[in-house]
Amino acid sequence: MNVLAYLPYAVSFWIFAMGCYGLVRCRNLIAAVLALAVAQSSTYVLLLSIGFHKQAGAPIFSPTNPVGSPAVDPIVQALTLTDIVVGATVSALILALSIQIHRRTSCIDPERLSPMSE
Amino acid sequence: MSTTFVRLVPAFSVAVPLMAAAVLAPFTRCCTRAVSSVVTTVACGLVLGMTLFLLFYSSAHGTIVHWMGGWEPSHGTAIGISFAVDPMGAGLAAFVALLVLCATVYTWIAVDLVGTLLHVLLLAFLGAMCGYALTGDLFNMFVWFELMTAAAIALTSHKIEEASSISGAINLAVTNSLGGFLVLFGIALLYGKTDALNLAQIGEALAKQPIDAALTASFALIVCGYFVKGAVAPFHFWLDDAHAVAPTPVCLLFSGIMVQLALYGVARIYFGAFAASFAPHVCAIGGLFLGVGIATALLGALMAYAQRHLKRLLAFSTVSHSGMFVAAIGLFQPGAIAATALFIAAHGLVKSALFVCAGTYLNRFRSLDECVLGGRGREAPANSAMFLIGGVALAACPPFAISVAKAAFDRAMDARGLAAVSLLMALVSAIDAGAVLRSGLHITFGIGNAQDTGISPREEEPETIGDHLESTPWTMLAVPAALLALALWLGVDERIWHGIERAGAVFVDRHSYVGAVLGGHSLPLPDASGPKQTAVSLTLNLSATALAIAIALAGLFRHRIPRQLKVASRPFAFLRNLHSGKFADYVAYLMVGVAAYGCWLVVALPR
Repeated sequence: MNVLAYLPYAVSFWIFAMGCYGLVRCRNLIAAVLALAVAQSSTYVLLLSIGFHKQAGAPIFSPTNPVGSPAVDPIVQALTLTDIVVGATVSALILALSIQIHRRTSCIDPERLSPMSE
Repeated sequence: MSTTFVRLVPAFSVAVPLMAAAVLAPFTRCCTRAVSSVVTTVACGLVLGMTLFLLFYSSAHGTIVHWMGGWEPSHGTAIGISFAVDPMGAGLAAFVALLVLCATVYTWIAVDLVGTLLHVLLLAFLGAMCGYALTGDLFNMFVWFELMTAAAIALTSHKIEEASSISGAINLAVTNSLGGFLVLFGIALLYGKTDALNLAQIGEALAKQPIDAALTASFALIVCGYFVKGAVAPFHFWLDDAHAVAPTPVCLLFSGIMVQLALYGVARIYFGAFAASFAPHVCAIGGLFLGVGIATALLGALMAYAQRHLKRLLAFSTVSHSGMFVAAIGLFQPGAIAATALFIAAHGLVKSALFVCAGTYLNRFRSLDECVLGGRGREAPANSAMFLIGGVALAACPPFAISVAKAAFDRAMDARGLAAVSLLMALVSAIDAGAVLRSGLHITFGIGNAQDTGISPREEEPETIGDHLESTPWTMLAVPAALLALALWLGVDERIWHGIERAGAVFVDRHSYVGAVLGGHSLPLPDASGPKQTAVSLTLNLSATALAIAIALAGLFRHRIPRQLKVASRPFAFLRNLHSGKFADYVAYLMVGVAAYGCWLVVALPR
């Protein structure tokens, strides 16, 4: 069994756990957005490691790298790209909401905000 | 009719709302209410027409498959992205379109649209939910799921001037994003094992492989991720915060269909991909689903009963119904799936009607607090009457459709020797409906003492333009009336249940799905004709209704109940404290939940 083969999974899990830890402990909404982005980057690591092949180049074929030569999986790269776009949307939304909440209450500490009180 | 045309309909039922949203979006400031209402209503109507056509066509001729851009499979390998429309998916999409249409009609008069942004977001939400229900590709499903989340965040923070509203939206954003990441983890692991993203293709590949750790992990991650949006304990915490602050048409869509779509995703992926490997271990997975289903149902019902904020009360009732749906899906058997489908439709109709009635109280009397509203319901008699009818319908009172769904649910449970679960679920729905009836009776007739929870009553901003409404506009009465009438019709018409039963049989049949998607030949639906209601289930449903009324009266006259008979209120305080409104807590519960689900599946499934 090759321990190194499991390394990307461990790294991915670690990044996700750190992102969640950041969300649990953060006292600032901007930090929460960053923690969410950290948690999301774990999905990039996992996706790219799944498409990885040893000694394979980028999936771009040219005369020096002819069709049929080994290449990493382009589909997971496309998935990662889509995932980044999704993440950017959600980050933008939460940041916009944070600005608005700061305007209303001049406070961006999630511990002091609640949907139950005004 | 040419099949080329039929195969384009699924694509158009997603493209039409998204294009309408794109057309409206640049003109949110200058477009008038009338123009925007007409565009939105026509778009919703078109989608409803197309999805109903898909429903009838796929019921008659089998699954409809559309390959985007004409990228058909080559040598049995999927290359492109497919929409695979079976009667269950088409029916759900039609139900989505119906509810969005109702939400749009609700906004015709007086509701504050913020320019016309509300309509734009509703259309984007409709497109996302339809795409999600119709797609046959796992990653495509994830993208629609995330679009749903993004639209949901924006819709929840509709009242952007209120800090509470924004904070509810942020709770939704954080928890649902984490849920989305979990789903993506699961999809990535599945792709790593099968080199496929098409659901049928994944199912074919997994059928040839033994179960291993990656497969179990991917199933656990996908289930947990979808259960976040599906509001299953302990992932449900965002739901009541979002419902408490979201505008009424949005609550209608969240409770009516969005939460249930997530559970549909779990069932769809199980039957499409995992069923081949996990079929021998269905009891282990079913045990998990049954356990969390019962826990969620009880928790939701108790919390609903402890609320006096109408929207929160209804939101917790949705949580408890989510638990019932999960318990039924956990049987992984066609009858139970059909029962769940009818239950989802019936519950969606009734719950939406209740939310609209609650919204009318807010717009008329500037409050959603049962105590503040006490006795004022007389000023809006039609609305109050519909609220009470909705409460009775929620208690599975015949002939409303929930009773038919409950009867089918009981039959499926009985067949597995789980009659005790049916009794427990009858109790749960009685508590749920009891909470709704208690607040309805107190608001309408002012009888009894409302609960004293130590929270001072507060006013809320109505959703309408201006201060508050002097009289209820006809749109706000027509929508719940139509929804309740539909719930009645679904329960009375014999053909509905038989149609759903056949759709359930197709839904669980992986081989016919694979044949339609990869082989290009659809089989017509099998025949089914189970009994609709039996004397036992009728008695059970009627006693649940009676129990609900008793529970409502007990809540109203609790000061007259002898102290010894009162249920201790300590657990309520504990449960209430868990729902803190802080997303940091919710993320912690989410991690604990993922660990617990993962441990159960790792222990119960072979490694």
